[in-house]
Amino acid sequence: MPAITVAKLIDTTLCIGCKACEVACQEWNDQEFTLGTFGGTYQTMPELEHNFWNLIKFNEHEQDGALSWLMSKYQCMHCADAGCMAACPAPGAINRLDNGTVDFNHDDCIGCGYCITGCPFDVPRLSPTTKKVYKCSLCSDRTAVGLEPACIKTCPTNCLTFGSRTEMVRKAESRAETLKADGHADAGVYNPAGVGGTNVIYVLKHASAPERYGLPKDPTIPWTVTLWKGPVKWLGTLVMAGGILGAFFHYVRYGPKHEEEPRDDPE
Amino acid sequence: MTPNKILRFDAIERAVHWLVAITFLYAALSGLSMWSRKLYWISAVLGGGVTVRAMHPIIGLMFAAAFTRMYFKWKRQMNLDADDRIWLAKSHKYAINQEAGLPEPGKFNAGQKMMFWMQAAFSALLLLSGLVLWFPEYMPRAARLAAILIHPLAAIGAIGGIIIHIYMGTAAVPGSIKAMVRGVVTPRWAAAHHPKWFREQQR
Repeated sequence: MPAITVAKLIDTTLCIGCKACEVACQEWNDQEFTLGTFGGTYQTMPELEHNFWNLIKFNEHEQDGALSWLMSKYQCMHCADAGCMAACPAPGAINRLDNGTVDFNHDDCIGCGYCITGCPFDVPRLSPTTKKVYKCSLCSDRTAVGLEPACIKTCPTNCLTFGSRTEMVRKAESRAETLKADGHADAGVYNPAGVGGTNVIYVLKHASAPERYGLPKDPTIPWTVTLWKGPVKWLGTLVMAGGILGAFFHYVRYGPKHEEEPRDDPE
Repeated sequence: MTPNKILRFDAIERAVHWLVAITFLYAALSGLSMWSRKLYWISAVLGGGVTVRAMHPIIGLMFAAAFTRMYFKWKRQMNLDADDRIWLAKSHKYAINQEAGLPEPGKFNAGQKMMFWMQAAFSALLLLSGLVLWFPEYMPRAARLAAILIHPLAAIGAIGGIIIHIYMGTAAVPGSIKAMVRGVVTPRWAAAHHPKWFREQQR
């Protein structure tokens, strides 16, 4: 049976900011909560941490003099075209599972941190103790045995659903249609094409302004990473192979300059 | 010093040069192993991926320190004069062993001088971008995105230059390696490759 690509659907309109998914993530992945920076909002901490892989962003949005929260659940997006994988130099450290999950294998991670730079969503984090990089695994240890990720399991409002990617995209689009019919003209689906689509899909009320949710507008793998992993590699190969072969054939054609005198040179 | 030997590099120069060379070799090979997944196997003979990631920047700093010492020792001798500019314009003749008509080089020919300045520039770029790549978690994103491109480009330049340097210092100009290992050259070698310097030595 061909593997089904799975996806997580986040309907931001249904999130009540209860943070149950944050707790479930910490619990299932057996991570201690370490109090970080307090940003003066309801948000647990300003950014993801190496031991905190799932963060509800309490984005404060003001419209017509009224404040509202645009909740967004921030974690690894499991991109189809993953910047972390493009940047990683260690074979086996980042793996694409059959179900589409981008999974870090810490036995093979060397902690170079290139994935941090390659990621257009600024998700991976280096641990100061293990010197390896961590992020959401889409609970690959749960999905492997047919369970849904811990965050999905715990969500009390059905804001989070999990299933085949095709089904999640269909569901997201249908929900966006409903929202539009309810008067939210800008409602839509966040599934950015610049990274080949993501296996974490959002329904947003303000689909034309994802940055209001703390999501990048048109994420792509950074061009310097693409250049580095493409033409620069060819240039390097050319210079190194060309240099060695060039030197050898130079010697074959022209030979050395002024052969050193033999040991018993009478001079 | 017997008369048929001329001192070219003193013990400090030689030691510093070889410190630069050994640290460069480790940094280059370990860097290549982290440059491409196809070259990752190199890390296996340098202590493994985790060790290479930890050691590469430290060895890199040692390289930078040794190179700095070498830089200040040699930078005066590496200034290009009018003869050197003529030499450079005709360097294609030098490359095919037709040196007649080229200005006579002093202690270093213009090619060696250019190698020195190029490696100094590449080393500076490698050091600056390397510091950014060393601690990605503390560096601004724009700096990391620039460093991720500058570091390999400077490394390609430096490795390309070193391939020429090693070839010139061993096979292409016999007798050169002895100048850097034991410090001495024969009068014949000096007169052939660095005539202006040779005459200065005779005075």
